[in-house]
Amino acid sequence: MKIVVCIKQVPETNDVTIDPKTHNLDRRGLAGVMNPFDKNAVEQALQFKATTDAQVVLLSMGPDDYAQSLREGMAMGADSGVLLSDRAFAGADTLATGYVIAKAIEKIGDVDLVIFGRQAVDADTGQVGPIVAEFLQQPQITYAATLRLSGPNEVTAERLLEDTKQTLVAQLPAVVSVRSELNPPRYPTPRNIQLSFEKPLTIWHHDDLDLDDSRLGQAGSPTIVTKVYAPKPVKRELTPLTGTPQEAASQLIKALKDRQLL
Amino acid sequence: MSTRNTAAEKLLLQMVDDYTAREVAPLDMAIDHAQDYPEGFMKKLTETGFLGLMLPQEFGGAEFGPEVTATVLNHLARGNASTAVTLEGHFKTIDQILKFGTPALKQALLPSANQRIFAFSMTEASGGSNPMGISSTATREGDHWVINGDKIMITNGGLAQVYCVLVKTAPDQLSVFVVDQDMPGFSFGKREDFIGLRGTPVGEIMMDHIIVDDDHLLGHLGDGGLIGDSAHDDARILMGAVLTGIMEHELKIATDYAKERKAGDKPLTELQVTHRKVADIAMRKETTKLLYQRAAQLKAAGQPYSEEAAMAKAHGSRAAVAAGDDALQILAGYGYSREYPVEHLIRDARAMEIAEGTVEKMRSAIATAEFQK
Repeated sequence: MKIVVCIKQVPETNDVTIDPKTHNLDRRGLAGVMNPFDKNAVEQALQFKATTDAQVVLLSMGPDDYAQSLREGMAMGADSGVLLSDRAFAGADTLATGYVIAKAIEKIGDVDLVIFGRQAVDADTGQVGPIVAEFLQQPQITYAATLRLSGPNEVTAERLLEDTKQTLVAQLPAVVSVRSELNPPRYPTPRNIQLSFEKPLTIWHHDDLDLDDSRLGQAGSPTIVTKVYAPKPVKRELTPLTGTPQEAASQLIKALKDRQLL
Repeated sequence: MSTRNTAAEKLLLQMVDDYTAREVAPLDMAIDHAQDYPEGFMKKLTETGFLGLMLPQEFGGAEFGPEVTATVLNHLARGNASTAVTLEGHFKTIDQILKFGTPALKQALLPSANQRIFAFSMTEASGGSNPMGISSTATREGDHWVINGDKIMITNGGLAQVYCVLVKTAPDQLSVFVVDQDMPGFSFGKREDFIGLRGTPVGEIMMDHIIVDDDHLLGHLGDGGLIGDSAHDDARILMGAVLTGIMEHELKIATDYAKERKAGDKPLTELQVTHRKVADIAMRKETTKLLYQRAAQLKAAGQPYSEEAAMAKAHGSRAAVAAGDDALQILAGYGYSREYPVEHLIRDARAMEIAEGTVEKMRSAIATAEFQK
């Protein structure tokens, strides 16, 4: 079994400022740490590794100093790391980032499971995991609060949303994003920190991947940030669908028609 | 220093700071009040690999050098000084086995030093700073040694499982043997009720006819004084680091409070009396840090470091007590309350004016070294 865990290095501080021109996060000069939710993803992969002998590959995209977070994940116990680093990738939004990451996962090859943290604490979008699943055309489960290998070729997760919990089963290969409720991540031990530098860390540049240049970087990013503000929470009405799948589908179609959405 | 070393150290300190913030600092007050570590505390510290921090990789350790080891204790002590002192007692003992042990002794003992705490015991009821005054003995009987005697005030006494013990092998000869708590004739005595560093157990061991063979001798017969001095030197560097951590904690408490509190209509941060105290705490902290780092650098470079280690502990212990007093005064009534940590930081720091050689003995050693130049 091969598991890829996608991790992001985020600023260590909460005092992140917004670039007044681009409205993007200004990460310049900030020390980086591994995104906390990604530690839950690494921990889950390592627990699978302990029971299945899975190979755990860490994958990240960013400048060369992102290698530090890959080392941290390898010190936790991952087998190897791949860093996608090239000036051509700079300025990417979630779509352009997801495209390059999906291409890298294809290159890694024979990947059974891709795990993401639910979102990165700097930009908070939670979009890259689902985007990667779409590029790979694989099933996806987001916001998993539990995750287990429920069969030789499937995972089962409890998906925890604001006011509901769902149990979802996905056939492998699949993409899952995980919540912090999943597990307490282990600390890398001092010895494993030293030994992590013996593990392979590969850097892939633009030419190492089969890429469509129009999808890369700022040019490949349709996102335009016009304003940054904290949205007000919206309480949505929840109507559970009941009965057989056919009955539930009928209820859904009726509900959509009632709202003139169909 | 290589890029790899720098990157590993950065990752290590990041982990230590994270661990300290989540697992250690929140328990600081509780450890002091309970006079013990909470259940599972040492187990987690052990599982996270702290015991093997400076142990060579061939014995399953991480093999970080003297400077990094001291810095880790500095950072841990920001959260709780007792925890850092427990590790100090363990590391100074491992250091002596590494320096003086035979390959067979190292191979027999050190792989377990990742899981078991080691302690060094010199002091007896008859005296602490005069090793020749001890009465514990190792007597040759046939092809083995028989150890008898009681040791007191052992850092980690009762918690540690392996003990290096200073004994007399002749009326004028000091030697060190390694004994294990599981050996017949070994038992624990009482735990001291000390006013500071209350998490660190300091206790007594009794040795009644413990039989060991030559393999348990550390170094050569008669090396006891040399090994004891070396253990003190190594401990004093680490204590300088712990004291720096205590002062960083004191400084943070004092500045956080001063930023929030007003005297009359003026914030404390605008009062000159506060400036003077905060500046003094900061200078004491920084000088102690430079002293322990200097001693650790000399040790890493294989140069003599005894005098610098004594300076780090002598200066640092007095400085941390004085810094705590200044912090207490800034917090005034709250500083004097047991609900705030400043008072226990003073008690913690005060221990290190005595442990591993008194401040008076340090000054004597420093002066003697200067006269010899």
